[in-house]
Amino acid sequence: MSLLDLLALFFFPGYAFLFLMAFFLEWVDRKTLARIQDRYGPLLVGPAGLLQPIADFIKLLSKEDIVPEGASRPVLTVAPILMMALPLTALFFIPMNGREALVSFEGDLIITLFVLIMMALLVFLTGWSSANTFAAEGAMRSALQMLSYEIPLALVAICPALVAGSLSISRIYASQAEVGLPFLAFAPPCGFLSFLIFLLCSLAELERVPFDAPEAETEIVAGWMTELTGRRLALIRLGRNFCFLLMASLMASLYLGDPVTYRIAWLAPLAFALKVLLCAMLMSFVRGIMARLRIDQTLKAFWTYITPVAVLTLLSTKIALTLL
Amino acid sequence: MGLIGWARSSSPWILHFNTGACNACDIEVVAALTPRFDIERFGALKVGSPRHADVLVVTGPVTRESMPRLIRIYEQMPEPKLVIAVGACAISGGVFAGCYNVCGGACNVLPKVDVLVPGCPPKPEAIIDGLNKALEILRSSRGR
Repeated sequence: MSLLDLLALFFFPGYAFLFLMAFFLEWVDRKTLARIQDRYGPLLVGPAGLLQPIADFIKLLSKEDIVPEGASRPVLTVAPILMMALPLTALFFIPMNGREALVSFEGDLIITLFVLIMMALLVFLTGWSSANTFAAEGAMRSALQMLSYEIPLALVAICPALVAGSLSISRIYASQAEVGLPFLAFAPPCGFLSFLIFLLCSLAELERVPFDAPEAETEIVAGWMTELTGRRLALIRLGRNFCFLLMASLMASLYLGDPVTYRIAWLAPLAFALKVLLCAMLMSFVRGIMARLRIDQTLKAFWTYITPVAVLTLLSTKIALTLL
Repeated sequence: MGLIGWARSSSPWILHFNTGACNACDIEVVAALTPRFDIERFGALKVGSPRHADVLVVTGPVTRESMPRLIRIYEQMPEPKLVIAVGACAISGGVFAGCYNVCGGACNVLPKVDVLVPGCPPKPEAIIDGLNKALEILRSSRGR
């Protein structure tokens, strides 16, 4: 392993970049939401409130650590660590420098989807072993929600893979540059539809408005996170920021490849970061303008409308590819 | 001011608990969170679970019904925690002091109330000032 590889691993696009980007995206999210609601949002901690997520993280690390009576201490210790580590692992498959991911092989898209399922299972485990009715209720809702969004998510994630003829995220991003399709999100026949379904499934995966029933603070305190304090909460919040970054960058790399910036060495990372930022802001925007769906409405929406449409999208992509 | 003091005073997550108020103070607390006053500028978030909170904002006289719940919520919060009593009732029971069903204010029930914000109801500016006075306490704190 050369020095350059080590630098790539620890700085860009490795750990340091991913941590900073995760905190930065939380700031972008809070700021976008605040601007939609005609507020300022974080303003006084650091320049324009940029250090706010870092202050939150350090504060949570320094808080008292409570494990309630009857709760399972091993699960509550391991789950937060995994919930931070798993999306961080998946982020290494993303071509953050706009060209090639740190780790890329045929099938890393499948592993990323697997990580997303693992996250939902860990959420269920955390809520269930918290020994709290609200946490258990949140965990149940989270599991139900997973049953609804996982299938359409996998179906539409396969669409770009079919077009690119590869299951590696870096290859999919690169092939969009080679084919010369400006953005796969606007590719006929169903590129835009597929992008839209991916956006909805991402929102459900991230448990964001309108699919935030698992942590609805107006009905079930804080859902599956109710009993978490201190370090555990800090790690889980960081893990969720990583997940947010993961979904935004998946969206950018699967759907928003372009032929121009890919070829210019200095522009490629910038363009990719910009695309990730746009996707994140899109998700924050939806959070600002929507209300929460009940869990049964979420299930109904996914099973009656989104899943069949996702199947049709996949079929039409396949048919279009065979005919061409 | 160390790193931990900075982090703690930069991110006060508040939990709002109504112990039997007439809703006037509650509306002022909500006003402090909404666009015109927006205390998220200071990093304050309103959280749902006492386990996540740093600052307990109590409004209203503590009734016999709500007294055990107030104590329970206070005990569920992780250290270091602060309590702000907002409004005359939360401080002493206000006009309800001495009623058969009122235990007095938060000061009579909780072991420690850090900041008292008087008023009936206090203005959002006064609540923000109270929050800043509470953050002064955190600013000088070091890791336990």
